[in-house]
Amino acid sequence: MEKVLELWHASGLYNITGGQVTMILVCLVLLYLAINKKFEPLLLVPIGFGGILANIPEAGLAFSAVENAVHFAKPEVLQSLASTLGTASTEPYEVLTAYNESNASAHHAASLVAADAGYSNGMMYNFYSVVIGSMIGPLLIFMGVGAMTDFGPLLANPKTLFLGAAAQFGIFATVLGAVGLSAMGIMDFSIQDAAAIGIIGGADGPTAIYVASMLAPQLLGAIAVAAYSYMALVPLIQPPIMRLLTTEAERKISMHQLRHVSKTEKIFFPIILLILVAMLLPDAAPLLGMFCFGNLMRECGVVDRLSDTAQNALINIVTIFLGLSVGSKLSADKFLDLNTLGILLLGIVAFGIGTAAGVLMAKLMNKMQGGNSINPLIGSAGVSAVPMAARVSNKLGLEANPQNFLLMHAMGPNVAGVIGSAVAAGVMIKFVG
Amino acid sequence: MENLVSEGLSLMGFGMGFVFVFLTLLVFATSLMSKFVTKFLPEPVVLPKVKPATPVSGHNNDELLAVLSAAVHHNRSK
Repeated sequence: MEKVLELWHASGLYNITGGQVTMILVCLVLLYLAINKKFEPLLLVPIGFGGILANIPEAGLAFSAVENAVHFAKPEVLQSLASTLGTASTEPYEVLTAYNESNASAHHAASLVAADAGYSNGMMYNFYSVVIGSMIGPLLIFMGVGAMTDFGPLLANPKTLFLGAAAQFGIFATVLGAVGLSAMGIMDFSIQDAAAIGIIGGADGPTAIYVASMLAPQLLGAIAVAAYSYMALVPLIQPPIMRLLTTEAERKISMHQLRHVSKTEKIFFPIILLILVAMLLPDAAPLLGMFCFGNLMRECGVVDRLSDTAQNALINIVTIFLGLSVGSKLSADKFLDLNTLGILLLGIVAFGIGTAAGVLMAKLMNKMQGGNSINPLIGSAGVSAVPMAARVSNKLGLEANPQNFLLMHAMGPNVAGVIGSAVAAGVMIKFVG
Repeated sequence: MENLVSEGLSLMGFGMGFVFVFLTLLVFATSLMSKFVTKFLPEPVVLPKVKPATPVSGHNNDELLAVLSAAVHHNRSK
């Protein structure tokens, strides 16, 4: 009988908390959206499944060795942890707080104590530290995106870079919104948190994960989920804003065909971009450096095998690990609070403002160039979300004028948006990191 | 709290300003590069090579027709 009771006490059913049940339900909703509604399935399937794994009671998959040791709370282990971390109390909660606030060396020492006591990092925790904690995941994704990006439309019409710049207004307006909410006492965000939330408006998953893991790792789960779900919602969020801000006549403007861009120009571009980054904003160098490297591999034409791996096999592998790692941040104690709701709300505002700023900038440029050369619909593609946002521009253009193909014209601001949000990320890391 | 808002405002000002400055410089740099490349490093011109090929094939039309019909004939008679 005693054995049966022991088994029962170790079962998930006995130990599960309300928060874990809620989070598993949330993850099931994510899986439903990904599988049934095709919302960014490549990321939301691993994220949703990872989230379920992270919430399995007692397994502690998303926790470090120390957190697991504290969870099982053997008095002698707590005692040695507390003395290592320099706290008097052996209350589990106090020990955990001391652990989270300790410096790197005490952190490491505590991990060793936990390891000696026979506790180890959970699987998902290890995925997280390897892929996101080390920054390798988002950077490799950026390299793959670089290898997939054709800068031809941008080089044919470099002025579209301004549209990519204007759409980044969504990022900074949201930062202001987040600090405003904290100032009014509704939420509790630091300036770092606000910057990480704002980057959702860049509509660029890897950039959002990169910035969040640097500035506000505790919010990473919510930020990544918001960024990827809203990217899937681009075709729903953008069109009403675009219709509201443009007139029928403006939507009908057809743009003349782009000039041919030579191979040499395409090879020079990533190098010029890299030199500019190196000279002006070294903080954006990891992101844009990998991006330029991927693009150079694509365009130089002599390493097709590497470029092929970067944009297919490697990006797929990294996507699996990145998704699972983001899922590890969906454990109940880190995800379920009011701030998550605030992040979801601010994220959608960021998307809206970015879209509006892009369209308004395109209108302005059109006015400056005589009023009949730039269709303002391509402005909304300045929020990255490649290539979804460009497709939305194309679709609305076709609605107004069935002969109006804007796709290639919208790809310019679209890839400019990727550069713009990476630059914005660099500025944020520089100023508040 | 006031401090936080002013920090946010300055981040917005600096951030947007920097993004615009950076991308403006990039516009100039790429335009310059494109001009340079089209002037000094033009692509090896492929088009003229293709064009003369068409009249040549027109010239040999009779011959081509003969070869083709022979082939078809050969194929049918199998």
